Amino acid sequence: MRNKSTLLLNLAVPVAALVAWEVFGRLDMLPRYLSVPTLIVAGLWEFAVSGELWPALAASLYRVTLGFAIGTAAGIVAGLGAGLLPGVRNFFDPLVSFLFSIPKIAFLPVFLLLFGLGHASKIGIIAFSVFFPVFIASRHAVLSINPILIWAAQNMGTPPRTIFFRVTIPAAAPQLFAGIRIGLAHAFVVLFAAELIGSKAGLANLISYGEEWVRFDLMFAGIVCFAALGFVSDRILMAVRRRVLKGQLLGTEEQVT
Amino acid sequence: MTLAMKIIARWYSIPLLLVIWQISVDSGMVQSRLLPSPSQVWFVLVEEVTSGRLVYHTAVTVSRALVGFALAALIGIPFAAAMARSALWRNLFEPIFFLGYPVPKIALFPVFTYIFGIGTPSKIAFTFLECLYPIVVTCFLGFRGIQTRLVWTAQNFGANRAVILRRVVLPAALPDIFAGLRIALPVAIIVVVITEMIGDSIGLGYYITIWSTRFSFANVYAAIFVIGICGFLLDQILLLVRRRAVYWQREAS
Repeated sequence: MRNKSTLLLNLAVPVAALVAWEVFGRLDMLPRYLSVPTLIVAGLWEFAVSGELWPALAASLYRVTLGFAIGTAAGIVAGLGAGLLPGVRNFFDPLVSFLFSIPKIAFLPVFLLLFGLGHASKIGIIAFSVFFPVFIASRHAVLSINPILIWAAQNMGTPPRTIFFRVTIPAAAPQLFAGIRIGLAHAFVVLFAAELIGSKAGLANLISYGEEWVRFDLMFAGIVCFAALGFVSDRILMAVRRRVLKGQLLGTEEQVT
Repeated sequence: MTLAMKIIARWYSIPLLLVIWQISVDSGMVQSRLLPSPSQVWFVLVEEVTSGRLVYHTAVTVSRALVGFALAALIGIPFAAAMARSALWRNLFEPIFFLGYPVPKIALFPVFTYIFGIGTPSKIAFTFLECLYPIVVTCFLGFRGIQTRLVWTAQNFGANRAVILRRVVLPAALPDIFAGLRIALPVAIIVVVITEMIGDSIGLGYYITIWSTRFSFANVYAAIFVIGICGFLLDQILLLVRRRAVYWQREAS
């Protein structure tokens, strides 16, 4: 439990930074492109009222959700397959170990050409980059399950289907979530770069419009929205994780809650 | 099963896909403009490497990534140690790192280009920021996880604080420090390539963008291949250093 003085210290640096930003910005001691926090909040309000924010937010959200869902699903299926079946493992392992060290965003030009400037190319590249961390995590998760758990279930005459759903999946779940979380972080990085490089709608475009119109308050408003979107998604994923892994987290150090 | 069979069973997929790729391009099933065949890519790769163009852009990208990464390590590790050691530092900075961790920092890149310009400094500064988070968070958990009885034993033998730091705390946290570095290293390369793609006139990210606008995808794939090799080599070097430094513990594969 946190007491009052700890909470005060926790807030000290962010609040001090915001206040310093506001004060020095108002005194014109900061470069103009840094804007000031109150203007940024006003910019956020302006975006929300004028209605520009919502289509951009919807476009970004749609792309990241669909891309993340496809990449995660493909990664889990392929990863569980690779963990369970040596044939699948042998097919994917060399490919993944080679492609893993390449920033997936490097394939963006290829995706842009294949799927055009619309939603599909972003969804494709996001799914592509989410696939790898999820695949690796689920593959390792299945392979590192304690064989005693499987043996115990087999010993009690459990059919393979039940073993898969009742032993393998729950035992692999914690590592799976670790991979999915990395995938989610990748999804937002790729989303931003893809929207900035080749797109006509989305939060990243809002940010670059802010730049073009020399409205730095609007630029920061876009940045705040994007950052908030990423942060909230991560929180939702962690909440889901806590629900799904209820009891499994006991006794482990909950690292970044 | 013989050794040759085993090797084939383990590694068949890459050659198989390359052959399918080559055949499907040669037979005209896919447009070779969009998807040049592996032999075309190889030809361009050799040409661009021997002419030195690709080598130059690679050197730019790798040096930026390494400088940003090294700065993040040099500042992040002592910072994490201070956070683990002092309650004041921990309370001051823990929320910034742990709440800031899932925030996509890439959105701040436009601001960085305003502050540091479009060239190398903004790339290095941004790489520094992106690497700092995994390094500080992982190292902090590592420093905190040191078993107190190790420190107590050293104190019992009359070791002073400097000796404890150098001979007990640092070696005990070293596996976690390397874990953090290993997370941050590919992040450094990703970030440099992305920021070069967004806006620059040198570097592999720029190389990919410029050749894709010229519809010369053989060059794009050649550059992607080079990035993959660089990432792989850097990771191997880091693992080598780790084996020398943490000689008492094998890494988990």
